[in-house]
Amino acid sequence: MSRLLQLCAVLCATGSFAGLCSAQDFHVPDSAVAGEEASISTTGSGKAIFYLLGPGVSRKTDITLGGEVQLAPQDLRNAGDYLAIVCLGTCHSESFYVSASKPADLTFLVHPSRVPVALADAVSGVAFPFDQYRNLVLATENVNFRLTAKDVPLWSRSVRTQNGVAWFRTGSGKSAGPVQVTASLDDLKTPRAMQQVASDPCNLRITGQRTPKGILVQTEPVHDCAGNVVPDGTMVTFTATGSAGMGTVDAPIKQGVARAQMEAPGPTTISVASGVVMGNEIRVGAQP
Amino acid sequence: MSRTVRAELPIRFVVAAIALCVLSFSPGLKLHAADSGVQVQLNTKNAGPRAVESLTERGILRDYRFAWTSMAQALESNTVDPLAGAFSGDAKQWLSQTVAGQQKSGLSRRYLDQNHQLEVVFYAPEGDVMELHDTSQYQLQIRDGNTIIHDEHVVVHYVVLMTPGADRWAIRQLQAVPQF
Repeated sequence: MSRLLQLCAVLCATGSFAGLCSAQDFHVPDSAVAGEEASISTTGSGKAIFYLLGPGVSRKTDITLGGEVQLAPQDLRNAGDYLAIVCLGTCHSESFYVSASKPADLTFLVHPSRVPVALADAVSGVAFPFDQYRNLVLATENVNFRLTAKDVPLWSRSVRTQNGVAWFRTGSGKSAGPVQVTASLDDLKTPRAMQQVASDPCNLRITGQRTPKGILVQTEPVHDCAGNVVPDGTMVTFTATGSAGMGTVDAPIKQGVARAQMEAPGPTTISVASGVVMGNEIRVGAQP
Repeated sequence: MSRTVRAELPIRFVVAAIALCVLSFSPGLKLHAADSGVQVQLNTKNAGPRAVESLTERGILRDYRFAWTSMAQALESNTVDPLAGAFSGDAKQWLSQTVAGQQKSGLSRRYLDQNHQLEVVFYAPEGDVMELHDTSQYQLQIRDGNTIIHDEHVVVHYVVLMTPGADRWAIRQLQAVPQF
């Protein structure tokens, strides 16, 4: 049948049998929504070939002119531009757009997954609303961003989408621990987890004493400036300076405290540092 | 001396001819030839909240051009292979569906004389997603078998989402809209 219509199309196009071919006209939808049924009305009479081309669809069917061509929801799942072509003799085309449906999913990206406390502009998030067919919803929507720690609200803001995207940037909170970052739009809610960790050590202090093996030096419990315990594994560097020269020992914090055994028989000055933070100095006398 | 030159000339000619033949059938040259039909201009002045780095700008230009070259190849030859790498996620899915639909119905599309005016409208603070607006112009040909059933110069506005991969930016979303 299609071959016959194609032959008719060629014959009509060349004008050989123009009298046999009825003029066709058709009207595409003024507006269509993704995943919703639509129809194209045609005029004229006789058989024709109908083509529908769009994102994700390439359909070819035989139709009878004068009726309506039904476009099934699955034909219009993807938002974008569609082209309808009716061929009988010559081919006529009309294009129309399918827009995204209402938001059904909220893609939410949050950075970073671990963040030191009390850091300005350290947390950012980006949200994109999509409809149920994964079309980007470009209509303006209000997205609510919210940071909570143990159900205690830390920060919130409502942001209108622009070009289908809403975003925020804010500082981290003051307490170490898990934080939930949520983006919500009407009934949609997308949570993300983030861990706030202690910042750099603050008021790093050490004590030391002679032992038969040398000098045992250890920090007081290491906290950041907000009072959060600095995580285990953070490296602390002890530096001993004496008549024999200088020596350093790197020790990780274990259960909040870093310890090191240093060999220095003479009078020794010991200093401490962690990252860029310097602590106090102590002087230990010579071995008796 | 002149005899030597005469002796070298045919050899040089043969070597040049062989090289030309090899290059003509090499994928690299084909890609370049196909690429030359896709013009892309990128405007990053309105990008925000993050400014587009010059290296990223070059990457976007290169990868967006490559993506449209790949898409044109896929929809003309009705194979999904060219889509690999250039597209991911939803864009790759609907393009694959389009190819499958065309294979079934015997249709194909050609995108000729492509020109893309690309503008970055959003670049995420951490640089992990970029939204662009593309005002593209091209000659769109639709074929049913060997018969051209539609041939039109079109201007289409696309909203594009791109994300960085290991070595390139890929198109995740390619959605035509009536206007920006």
